[in-house]
Formats: sequence, structure tokens, C-alpha cells
Amino acid sequence: MIKLFKPAALLLLCLAGATGSAVQAQEMSASSTGQKKEGLIKQQPSRMLFADTLLTGEASRMSNVITISDDNNDSYTFSESQLGDDDDYAGTTAMTSSNDDYFLSEVGYLFSPMRFRVRAYESMYNNVYANGVLLNDAERGQFSYGMIGGLNDATRNKEGVSAFEHNNFSFSPIGGSSNINMRASQYAAGHKASLVGCNRNYLARAMYTYSTGLMDNGWAFTGSASYRWANEGVIEGTFYNSFAYFLAAEKKINDRHSISIATWGSPTERAQQGAATEEAYWLAGSHYYNPNWGYQNGEKRNARVVNSYEPSLLLTWDYKINDKAKLTTSLFGKYSMYSTSALGWNGNAADPRPNYYKNLPSSAYDVWDLEYTPSESELNNYMQLYNYWQESKANRQINWDYMYYANQQANAVGGECLYYVERRHNDQLAVNLSSVLNIDYNRNNKGTFGVQLGTTKGMHYKTMDDLLGAEKYTDIDKFSVGDFGINSDYVQNDVDNPNRQIREDDKFGYDYDLNVNKASLFYQHQYNKGIMSLFAGANIEGTTMERNGHMRNGRAQLFSKGSSGTAYFLGGGAKMGISLAFNTNNVLTLGAGFENRAPIAYNSFIAPRMRNDFVQGLENENIFSAEASYKLTAGPVTTKISGYYSVFKSLTEQSAFYNDLQSQFTYLTMTGVDKVHYGVEAAIVWNVTSALSFNAVAAVGNAEYTDDVNGFLISENEEVVMNDKVYMDGVKVDGTPLTALSLGVDYNTNGWYLSANVNYYDNIYIDASKYARLGSVVGEPVIDATTGAMILNKPSQFQGKGGIMVDASIGKSINLRGGKKLNINLSLNNILNNQKMITGGYEQNRGDVYADGDARTYKFSKNPFLYYANAFNAYLNVGLRF
Amino acid sequence: MKTLKFLSILALSLFAATSCMNDHDAPNFEQPPYGNNEIGEANTDIVELKTKYASTISGNGFEQFTDETIIEGVVVANDETGNVYKQLVINDKTGAIIIGIDDVGLYSVLPIGTRVRLNCKNLYIGGYGSLAQIGTKYFNTKYSEYQIGRMSKFDFQKHVKIMGKAASTEPEMTPMVVTEDFLADSNNKNSAPIYVVLKNVSIAEADGTRKFAPEEEQISETNTAVERNVSIGKQKVIFRLSTYADFANEVIPQGNFDITGVLTRYRNPGSSSKDYWQFMLTSTADMKPVTE
Repeated sequence: MIKLFKPAALLLLCLAGATGSAVQAQEMSASSTGQKKEGLIKQQPSRMLFADTLLTGEASRMSNVITISDDNNDSYTFSESQLGDDDDYAGTTAMTSSNDDYFLSEVGYLFSPMRFRVRAYESMYNNVYANGVLLNDAERGQFSYGMIGGLNDATRNKEGVSAFEHNNFSFSPIGGSSNINMRASQYAAGHKASLVGCNRNYLARAMYTYSTGLMDNGWAFTGSASYRWANEGVIEGTFYNSFAYFLAAEKKINDRHSISIATWGSPTERAQQGAATEEAYWLAGSHYYNPNWGYQNGEKRNARVVNSYEPSLLLTWDYKINDKAKLTTSLFGKYSMYSTSALGWNGNAADPRPNYYKNLPSSAYDVWDLEYTPSESELNNYMQLYNYWQESKANRQINWDYMYYANQQANAVGGECLYYVERRHNDQLAVNLSSVLNIDYNRNNKGTFGVQLGTTKGMHYKTMDDLLGAEKYTDIDKFSVGDFGINSDYVQNDVDNPNRQIREDDKFGYDYDLNVNKASLFYQHQYNKGIMSLFAGANIEGTTMERNGHMRNGRAQLFSKGSSGTAYFLGGGAKMGISLAFNTNNVLTLGAGFENRAPIAYNSFIAPRMRNDFVQGLENENIFSAEASYKLTAGPVTTKISGYYSVFKSLTEQSAFYNDLQSQFTYLTMTGVDKVHYGVEAAIVWNVTSALSFNAVAAVGNAEYTDDVNGFLISENEEVVMNDKVYMDGVKVDGTPLTALSLGVDYNTNGWYLSANVNYYDNIYIDASKYARLGSVVGEPVIDATTGAMILNKPSQFQGKGGIMVDASIGKSINLRGGKKLNINLSLNNILNNQKMITGGYEQNRGDVYADGDARTYKFSKNPFLYYANAFNAYLNVGLRF
Repeated sequence: MKTLKFLSILALSLFAATSCMNDHDAPNFEQPPYGNNEIGEANTDIVELKTKYASTISGNGFEQFTDETIIEGVVVANDETGNVYKQLVINDKTGAIIIGIDDVGLYSVLPIGTRVRLNCKNLYIGGYGSLAQIGTKYFNTKYSEYQIGRMSKFDFQKHVKIMGKAASTEPEMTPMVVTEDFLADSNNKNSAPIYVVLKNVSIAEADGTRKFAPEEEQISETNTAVERNVSIGKQKVIFRLSTYADFANEVIPQGNFDITGVLTRYRNPGSSSKDYWQFMLTSTADMKPVTE
């Protein structure tokens, strides 16, 4: 009964404007887990039910893991997923094609609740341009959507292209490109204001945009401002505080020359959600439990707060040389300030994270071994931990008061700070220049010639954000103290300033720049004749990279300060596409390409926080890609089906994590990484009448590593680089459903528009632990008892379950007097309130066995950190044009 | 231009409205946000406890406190450097006792010199190697028997009260000076643990290169302790040091020191003739060089 009524009840709640609907949903789910808990305590306090709900049949997922060392605290534990979370979800919206490609125009939005990435490509294979100049970050290769956060009106005017079609601004990477038009004259003249209410990361948004249009004096001005706000977002303990502005001016000097300038920025402060293990979710009674916050003085405080602001400036000169030739030149500059805060703990203080594994009941005894009977003291321990989580909400969150108190106690004896909040900065100064010449040679031939130059200085350091009342913090590496002794140079983070006393806002720990320069040239040609349209393009690109250290790290005294020297990479690519329009109803398109490109600078240094050395055997990536598609129109039905096959060779990837093997923060760099992505995409639209249409969209693919690779490991307290094999063959690309299907209906009449979609997602994987797949961890092959074959006990990758999510939207557009227009739209997402959809996460980089071979009680291999797609949520947008 | 002015005013006012959401006031504590602030005044002292349960302690047994038994003392040894692990030693005017707690980072709220009260009711007292400690009973799977063990961090917080900030001026912070005669009298071993200072002693292994507790010298693969020796006259005291201590890989300083710490004993349950004085060092800062 509850199941049936829940969606209806939630729908009503939402329509009544209650933003608390997700909370309601959580309470419901909590009550059902409550029953489980009761049963658990009464009958069998020895078993955790989450284990069989989530991981049925997974008991032998990982075995024979050999690990060394004791549990030390891991203040620097953060997985590769967290490293990547800086920019949060990059999305696929840039893939949105301006062409009439129903698939590409729909999937970006349609599948965004599950963080779907088209063809599972990493976001670095998707370029974003503004007026023809590249905005992607040169260090990591990807575009930061935070740069244009809250500027929806100002960035709506954009052209999207896929890799194998001609365009007038770029040599597009395989994930496609989009070019935002930021010329002031290109915005519709008039005022536009909108208000949004929703229950997502933010609760309210106000936006205002005004454009003069191109005035008689040849000037055009456009301005846009917005504010997004949540004192607490839909995830408990998060907030959102983001202002955005956009100002643009354009002067049309004459018919041939036009100059435009645009500046924008989005100063934002937002608190993040953290992933947790299924056990923690079970204990908290919700898949939306957020371990990042806790009470301080009775108020909620989040430990992970992102501050970002990327003030940007864009100058563009449009020069119409003649009727057949047009030159577009743009200069872009930005100074981005991006930082995230994180808890730090010093000396031998205990890990303050509420979901640290020792705080979880399953650390009391092996709950996964169903044959095992726990002793009285183990059971007692289990129940104490369990009850602690249940007693109050505060118990399962960060205890800020405790940390302040500990620091006060330390102050009383002149001791070192125990707990603090640090801020990790990734700032960047970038200047990019682009000049693109478009020529129509004749009716059948046109060409695009472009040059791009860019220089980027990435500044990486951390600062002391909050000492939490402590009076003394010395800049040394706590992990090295036990190895070398407190008086050794080795423990110093900066030997040139030994035992530096750190106050709030001081830099400490590490401080280095990554300098990247890029220069590229491209040419594209399009030839049209009869039914055939032929496209070919090529580019050549040079890249230089250098690390410049500002601290002399005690563990790398000879190669941490100053320049690393410069590495040079020369790359290039070529591609071709052909389109055959047999008639207007049948179009066949084929494309193929090859690209050789420099590795990304962010992965090119073996331990960038402390050392200058490049990864050994660093080499260019090679990417081969081919696709074929067929578009068929038959009466009211339009279909397009595409197949693609892409091979990535010689990639360089890096993870960073706390390593049991070394009791140290460790970098693991993999070189020679090979991957394959292939699949089928299909879209079908059936226009039953001019008002009613049905559609179906499918993306079914695979993306995985195809080889075991070389790994280089280096710990921050070691000087020696260790080599090891990493068993990556068959590991799937994570963080996106590899299967996504949708059935939808659209209905428009008299200014009303309604749509509904049923979406199905499957083959969702999380980030595989590279540590668990190290040769030294997997161990030697063993003989299978039944078959006699030699087998390796490689872990299998954690996979989320497939499931259905339903979305709907209703809108009305009303023409008011005086040409004004009112738009109202309500979107409802995940109407069935499916709270079991995993969007991503990461396996833990720790093993299940101690140094002496004894099994650990807590099974890291069975406790991946997971993120779940949002529960039912609604988004109401009211817009007025005047 | 009017429009521009309007836009910039709008922009500025919005900017001003976006004040920081991440400001928090530091908490002021009337009472510690740790432990049980309801615990009343002490009704016994540590030596009285050790005397009452002397046979249990020396026989490596354990016994539960059934009555309200409250002691008050000052923390004299803790896990600050990781040499002492999951233990605290508290000392009152009569003597010292070990508290076993299954938690790490205890020193962060209980630095040396912190005055505490411990309500022992429902906890256990017993002996391990005939050394007195308070904790709880636990089942040792290796020997298939119950022993005195560490209480959980939750139990500890129910039974402890922090009495204010740490201070080195607490009267209980005055260690007993150990003499050769004291060590020679084996009856004194029943008083262990004792908060002491070893006057003008040197560590036998100090040769200018040897380290306190390097992994290479640990007792066995599973026993991560390293032994170092100090003599007072003919009497020997064994320093049990952990390879996990922060100072494990520091070179042992040569020369003579006044070393403050906790004198403990270990009597091998299998052979009562193997009965040693041992020493629990919190930090190398407790080794004061003797200048002559």
C-alpha cells in the first residue's frame, strides 16, 4: 500500500510547494529500515541486513588480498574520485548538438540525474569554446562548469558539434565541442527575469538579463545577473551561496569589423555531500546521509566547503574580409580561484570522520562470514557501536565541539594543534588566443583554418583555513615522524623554513605551480557534391609542461624546489567524415579519426605535491575512433541509429590515496593504459499529430580497460619509486550508466506543453580500486580446486543495480499585453522516488589482511563508498520576458 | 549608459547580499563535551583499590566493581607519541593505576596533567603480568579464557569526568625517586604501576647510532616492542618501546638523564621467577639531560 501511495502523496506535497518532500521520503525509508533494525536486535544482533540487501552473492568478491601494516589514521585519504570531484559533475550538455540530432539534444538533460556521459567518454574529450577560443582547463583538459554557473541566459546561445562533422571553430575531440556565442548583439533585445524554486543543491534562483540588441549607433550591451541560494540544500548539511554576473558590449564598427568584450564570473560558496558506505547509509536510515557535516554550538557546519570564482574576460574581433572569407580572433583570460576545505588531524589524534571504519559496527567482528559466531565481547562492541549511531543524529556526524575542546586542552599544555580545517587550492591564470579563418571557396568547397595559443599557470597549495582554536601548528609531515624522528630534515615540508609556525591563511604542506603552454594549428575542409558531403580535417599541436616548486620538501630535497625542466610533446590528428543523403529520408554518415595528444599535465608528475620528476615513460595518448549512423524518415517516424567504436592507447592515469603498504599518502600512476569504448545509440520519434509525439532513446555500450598495465607507486615519505603491475584488464569505466534507455511522450496544445519519460539505467560501475588490483596485493596465481586451472584472485568491480526512474514536466506559455510573455514550467524528477540508484562511488584503497597475514575484522573490499541519485525532486521555473 | 548603470547597481547590490555562509562561532564550554560530568567526589584512593584487590591482581584474575567506587587522579602517561597505546595511567597521592581503553588519540582530550575522576562501578580491575589495571573483561581467543582487557570508548566516557585543564603543577605530578634498594625489594613490585623518576641514568644501548625502537629489532614478527635497558646500581629496568612510537627511529641520546615515567612490572604467568621491572615512557621529552 505504502508503495502505491508514496508517489501520489509526494506529488501532492510537491504541488503544495513543499520542498520538504525528499525529507518525507527519507523518513519513510527510515521507518522501513527501522523495522529491520528491530528485527535485527531481537533475533540476530550478529548480522547486518544491509549486507544481504546490497551484496547478495558477493561474499567472495575479493579474497586473498595481501596487505601490510597496521591501521594508522589516514587524514589524507581521498580517492581518485575525490580528486576528480573538484569540478563536480561536468555533464554532457556540451555535447548537445545544434543539428537535428534528437539523441544528442535529449540525452544530456534526460539522463543527467544519473550523471550520464555520452559514450562514457571522460569530460576532457569534450571541448567548450566561447567565440571560438578554448575555455577548457589546460592542466586537466576539462571544462569547469563552475566558470559559467548561474549564467544560463548568457550561455544559452551555443553551437554544438560532434567529432565527425564540419564546424567553423575547432578541430573537435572525440567527445564533440560546443561554442558559446558571447557577442552582446546576439542576445535577444529586452528584459528577461526568472525565478526558480526547487529542492536540489539550491532551493531558489533569481535571474535577470537585459540586452539592448544592436542599436542604431552600432553598439550592443547585454548584462545578466543571478543568485542561487540554499541555507540547506536537499542533502542535509549542505548550503549554496552563488552570485553570477555577465557583462558584454559590442561595437559594430562598420560592415566588416566588429569588436566585442565580455566579462563574467560566478563567485560561489557551497558545501558538499560526501559518499558513505552502505553500512553507514543503513545505520542512518537514508541513502542521502551526508558524513561531511556536524554540529558546532548546536549549529550545522560542513567540513567540505568549495569556494570558487573564475573572473573571465573575453575580447573578440570579427573581421569580414570579403563575402567569402571571415576571420574571428578572440583573446580569453581568466584568473580562477578554486579551493575545497577538508578536515585535518595532527600528531596521533584520532580520525574525526564519523563514518571512519572503526566507528562502524562491522569493525567489531566479521559480519560477512555467516558461519562465524561472535564472542560476547565482540557482540557487545557491535551493539555499542550500533546503538551509538542510533541514539542521536549528532552521533553520526562530525563532532566539532570535541575538536575545539581537544585543541583547548592542547593549548593548556603548550601542545600542537590536534584538529584543523585545511583549504586545498587549485588556482589558475590562463590566457588563450584563437584566430579562425573561414573561407567559402566556391559552391562546393569550404575550409576552416585555425590557430590556437594558450598559456596556463596552475597554482597548487594549501592554506590553514581554521585552526579550531588551536594556538600552535608546525609545518611537518606527521607520517614521516615515526620513520625519521622529529629532529630529522626529512619530516620538514619546507626545509628552507624548518618548523615553520602556521597561522590561519598561511600556506603549508605543499606549494607548486604547473605551467602548461599549448600551440595548435588545424585545417578542415568540406566538399559537397550531389548526394555526398565529404569532410576532412587535421591538426598539429605542441605542448610544454613544467612543475615549479616553491618549497624544498624534506623527502625530496634535491628535486622539489625550483623548475622540473620542461617537457615537450608534439601531437596531431586527422579525421574524415562522409555523409550520403540518398534522398531526404535516408542519410548514411560515416566517420573515422585518429588523434595523438599530449598527456594531461595533472597526471604527468609522479608525486606532484612534493617532487619535480615526471612520470617515467610519459608518452602521448593515441585515440582511434570510428562511427556510422543511419537516419531514416518514414512518414511521421524519424529514426537515427549510430554505432561507434573508439580505442584509447597509452593513456596516463593517476590516483592518490592513503596506502596501508607504506602508512603514507601515496601516488599510483599507471602508464600504457588502454581502453575501448563501443556501443549503439538510437533515437526514434513518432509524431502522431502535430501536438502529440512519442519518442524512444537508447544508449547501450561498453567502456573498459583492455590491458593490465604498469604502475608506479611513490609514497610521500619515500624517495624510491616502486614498480608494480596493475590488473586493470576488464575494469569498466565508472560513474555513468553504460546502458540508458528512455520512453517518452510529448504533448503541446494552446501554449501548454506536457512531457513524461520513463528511463531505465543499468551497467553502472564505481571507480575500481587500483590498490586492490596491484600485483603485490593480488598475489600469485592459485590452483582452482575444481578445474585445476591457475587463477588469479583479482577483485571483481562493484556494480550498482539497474532500475527505473520516471520524470515529467508541465509548462504553460502565456502571451501578455504589450508583447510580454510569461512562461511557467514545473519539472518533476524521479516521481517513483527510486532511492536505490547508484550514480557512482569508489572502492576503498585498503586491504582486508594485516601485515602478519591475519584477516582484518573490517572488510574494506566489501565496503565501497557510494553516491545515490537524488530522490524525488521538483523544479518550478517562472520566467517573464518584457 | 543608463542601462549599464542600472546593471552595475544591481550587480553590486546582489554581490553585497551574498555574505559568507560558512561563518561559525567557536564554542565556549561550561563543561567538557567529553565524559560524564555527573560523576561525584572520590570515595576511595588508588592504593586502597590495589590493596583490596591485591590477590586478584597478582593472580592475573579480574573482578567487577559492584559498588560506587570513585577515584580521582591526574593523567601521568598517555598515548601522545604512540609508545603507550590504548592506555592511560592516572596517579593520585597514594599511587598509580593503568586504565585500558579501546580508543586512540586519548591524549587529545587527556593530556599529561589532566585531573580526572573515574567511577569504577561496573568496570573491572585485574592483573596482566600481575600489573594492576582497570578495564573490562574480554575473551582472549588465543588462550580461550577471559582476562582483564580494555573498556570500549563508550564505556570510558560513561565512567570518566575531566576536572578542568591540564597543569604540570598538580601535586600528583611529583614522581617518586627510585633507588637501587627500592628496586631490589621484590615486594615493591606489588605496588606497580608507580609514577617515578629514574635519576641520573643512561640507556645501555646508546652508542650514538642505535635507535630507540627500529622495526629490525622488534621482539618478534607479531610483537612490535623493542627492549632497551637501564640500570640503577645492580638493578635493571627494561624499557619496553613500540616500533610505532613517534621517536622509534630517533637515535638514542648518549649521556645521563633523569627519566620520568611509569614503573611497571611484568611477571610471567608461566614462571613466577621471571618477574621484571619495566618502564613506560610517554615521550622522549621526559628524558632530562643531567648536566654535571
